[in-house]
Amino acid sequence: MSSPQDQPSPRLSVVVPVFNEAGNLPQLHEELLDVLGREEGGFELLYVDDGSQDRSREVLRTLRKGDHRVRVICLRHQAGQTAALAAGFDEARGEILVPLDGDLQNDPADIPKLVARLEDGYDLVAGWRKDRHDAWLVRRLPSIIANRLISWVTGVSVHDTGCTLKAFRRSLVQGRALYGEQHRYLPALFAATGARVTELVVHHRPRQHGESKYGIGRTTRVLLDMLTVTMISSFSQRPLRYFMFLALPFLIASFVVGMTAPLELVGGGAEFGLDTLAVLAFMLPFMACAYFLLLGLLAELVVKASDVHRSGARGASMRGGV
Amino acid sequence: MNAGKTLDPLGESPESGEAVKAAVDVSVVVPVVRADSRLREVVEGLGEQLESRGQSYEFILVFDGVSGRAFAEAGELVGEDPERVHCIRFQQPFGESACLAKALEITTGEVLVTSPEYLQIEPEDIGLLLDELDAGCDLVAPVRHPRVDAFLNKVQSWAFNLLMRRVLRAPMHDLNCCFRAMRREVLDDVTLYGDVYRFLPAIVHRTGFQVREVRVRHRAEFGGVGLFGVGVYIRRFIDLVGVAFLSRYTLRPLRFFGAVGGVLALIGGVVTTGLVVQRLIIPDMALYQRPLFLLGLLLFVLGVQVIGFGLVGEIIIYTQARNLREYRIERIYE
Repeated sequence: MSSPQDQPSPRLSVVVPVFNEAGNLPQLHEELLDVLGREEGGFELLYVDDGSQDRSREVLRTLRKGDHRVRVICLRHQAGQTAALAAGFDEARGEILVPLDGDLQNDPADIPKLVARLEDGYDLVAGWRKDRHDAWLVRRLPSIIANRLISWVTGVSVHDTGCTLKAFRRSLVQGRALYGEQHRYLPALFAATGARVTELVVHHRPRQHGESKYGIGRTTRVLLDMLTVTMISSFSQRPLRYFMFLALPFLIASFVVGMTAPLELVGGGAEFGLDTLAVLAFMLPFMACAYFLLLGLLAELVVKASDVHRSGARGASMRGGV
Repeated sequence: MNAGKTLDPLGESPESGEAVKAAVDVSVVVPVVRADSRLREVVEGLGEQLESRGQSYEFILVFDGVSGRAFAEAGELVGEDPERVHCIRFQQPFGESACLAKALEITTGEVLVTSPEYLQIEPEDIGLLLDELDAGCDLVAPVRHPRVDAFLNKVQSWAFNLLMRRVLRAPMHDLNCCFRAMRREVLDDVTLYGDVYRFLPAIVHRTGFQVREVRVRHRAEFGGVGLFGVGVYIRRFIDLVGVAFLSRYTLRPLRFFGAVGGVLALIGGVVTTGLVVQRLIIPDMALYQRPLFLLGLLLFVLGVQVIGFGLVGEIIIYTQARNLREYRIERIYE
């Protein structure tokens, strides 16, 4: 009776989200087995098929044959990379989770290095594709800007938060749902709950088979995601501060209008007095400011009514205990 | 939904460990939302068809706060065949979705058929739906053809379905006919509330199940429905917006609010900056005497506020996210 459940849980769970990667899978699988076979403590390999339309699923099933260390999770429909990873994390049994792209651009040989670094006393080690093989304008520039901004706001200095290849302790994701595009921002999100985060340079290889799944349309989304991530990672306990931070420019604008309007009206040859438009131009940014204050209060209410502040406290005490 | 009042409580306890009751093949759920229903036609018409197909069946009539003659008629039907006709009544209306949810609690059937409280299609066509379901899909939706309706209603229905296909990105052609057959499991991940009942095929399609459409013969609407009022149009449109927003942006509200607010703020920003720059180059026109400047400012502030609402949405989702799963596992090979 050696069903997979009877096996002792492995130390390492490698999670590979797959979307239309049939051409890359056999080589990836071979490289992974080669590297992981030398790891102590056992491993498991989880492929998450995110509703692929090519032959990925059949390829995965043949790769799995007769190997209880390999599991294939098939999602009902394409749910996106974060959701695919979340499915893998939820099913994983290992102590250490290692997500990895299914397109061969990450090098499996980096896994032991990441794990060794983790054992030095960190909760998350992020990969850093220092020498990236991607189009510069479309993919690298937006990424650099986004990374700088996130580092600046959250105070977690990680150069390449979008790199899928990472290693982290399973306790970080336990009892926590990942959604949206959160897999790109795990270092900042985890650091906010008290995780010790570091990074390590990893290889990045040019794409061999298949095509890239992202383009420039991503930039605006990255921008919006940043607003969310900075808010959630740094201000989820006290959203009012975040909203006041957003309101500040409007307060300044209101002040500027209030100062310049009288001068402007005199200089423009108009009669000095309370010109209606000037009053409105002063009031509008001021109103924006007031609305932000109200939204911030609303957000405080939402946070207080939920139980996230309790789990946040748990994260902090976990850090003190280790 | 504790207001359910059961005429025929079903929870018989198992006798000496034996299977309580073999699960029926087909459970027909009939939400009754109108007092002038024709339940006898439905129960007898469909029952006859299911009988001739050799399938065991049951009817679950859920009265959505409706009483009076229809409820008395249901009482008779239950009296005639207490084994196969069950009846529940809510004390006040909760909507068809709640009716279906209540019926789900009661029945153990694997195949569900939902039907309006009158025969909207030819009863023989229930066979078409069930055959298609057996052929290997998860939900079968009907397409009434030819429609026997007022011309304006047909146009309205066509426009509604067209809009729905665009907004929800689901290839359905007749969501206004709620006579459907489905496997129980398609409802596992669907929160049944509000107007979800009407949009069910589209929602189920979006969660990754196989949905097919079958052409059925339309029976003349009873009681002379006449033309729909303006209220119907407005309600349907609002429901569509709500369902579309929730099905696409539940876990990423800022994508929606950010897109709307971003466009507004961009236009406002361009107008405002343009005028400021113009003022600096040509200093003979006071900025605060130009209405356009105010309009630009207004758009910008509005856009930023919309984004602010999106951020509050993100906070709400973040605080509740533990209960949300974005993926659905079909199966695991291990």
